[in-house]
Amino acid sequence: MDKTQWLLMLHIAAAFCLVAGSTAAAILNVLAIRSEKPSEAAFLLKLIKYALPLIFAGVLGTLLFGIWLWHDLGFGIGTGWIWAALVFWVLASALGGRGGRSQEHVREAAEREAAAGDTMSGELRAMLRDPKALAVNYAAGVATIAVLVIMIWKPGS
Amino acid sequence: MIAFSRPFWPLFLHVLGAMTTVGAILTALLLLLAAWKRPDAVFLRRATFTTLLAAIPFYALLRVFGQVMYNREKDAFGGNDPTWVGIGFIFADAGALVLLITIGLAFWWLRSGKAIAARIATGTSSVLLVLLTIAMLAMSGKWGS
Repeated sequence: MDKTQWLLMLHIAAAFCLVAGSTAAAILNVLAIRSEKPSEAAFLLKLIKYALPLIFAGVLGTLLFGIWLWHDLGFGIGTGWIWAALVFWVLASALGGRGGRSQEHVREAAEREAAAGDTMSGELRAMLRDPKALAVNYAAGVATIAVLVIMIWKPGS
Repeated sequence: MIAFSRPFWPLFLHVLGAMTTVGAILTALLLLLAAWKRPDAVFLRRATFTTLLAAIPFYALLRVFGQVMYNREKDAFGGNDPTWVGIGFIFADAGALVLLITIGLAFWWLRSGKAIAARIATGTSSVLLVLLTIAMLAMSGKWGS
């Protein structure tokens, strides 16, 4: 394997970490929304923290090896599809961070209700299904997929 | 570089399927590891089984569109497939078998609540994750080309 193949492998491995970790977080969030007790929702939302190192490694790895590949493959500084991918990468990271903070808030509320009788209140149910928080999470997912689309499609290259 | 001249949709769907399959198996593994301390928890049994079922369509995307790309490109290999193609097929097909076994174990755990089923499923899902990771590294690094 030459240097470019190594860089491509590490870049794609980082992308795998990012998308697989995000998928795991999304599945656990959906399972938490469908749970019947606050303790179950809190437990499932708490498991998301184990996917976070993978997501962070993916976020950093895609950027680091992506920029290295940009230089290594000799793409110009004005290559539009790379800038477009970077914009969506920033958007996905920002939205993912905001969605994560909102999930943490819901987890704390679920833990409080679990300690106080473990009966699902309407308020917690509404927090779990908050359309605004869900929209942020879906938007983060769409932005991540958009990066993948751009990197594979390479429009204009 | 062959990846740079491939048609968009088969490659995108193959890669997306592979990434989401790994995500679903990772989730199942997290749930199974969490179940070591509470194997009787019904919600964990249900969540694990549902997650593994969700991995089936993701895996189908990976496998079907991998085959579509191979059928388009096999002539370029001149009957002598590179190592990374062989690894991809062997590990993906072995992975399908391990996935089905893991789903069977999760179903057994769901119905019986027996801790042994969850523990064996933890082992099989770990094996599956390792198989998929090696296949991903081999294919993205084009091992042996």
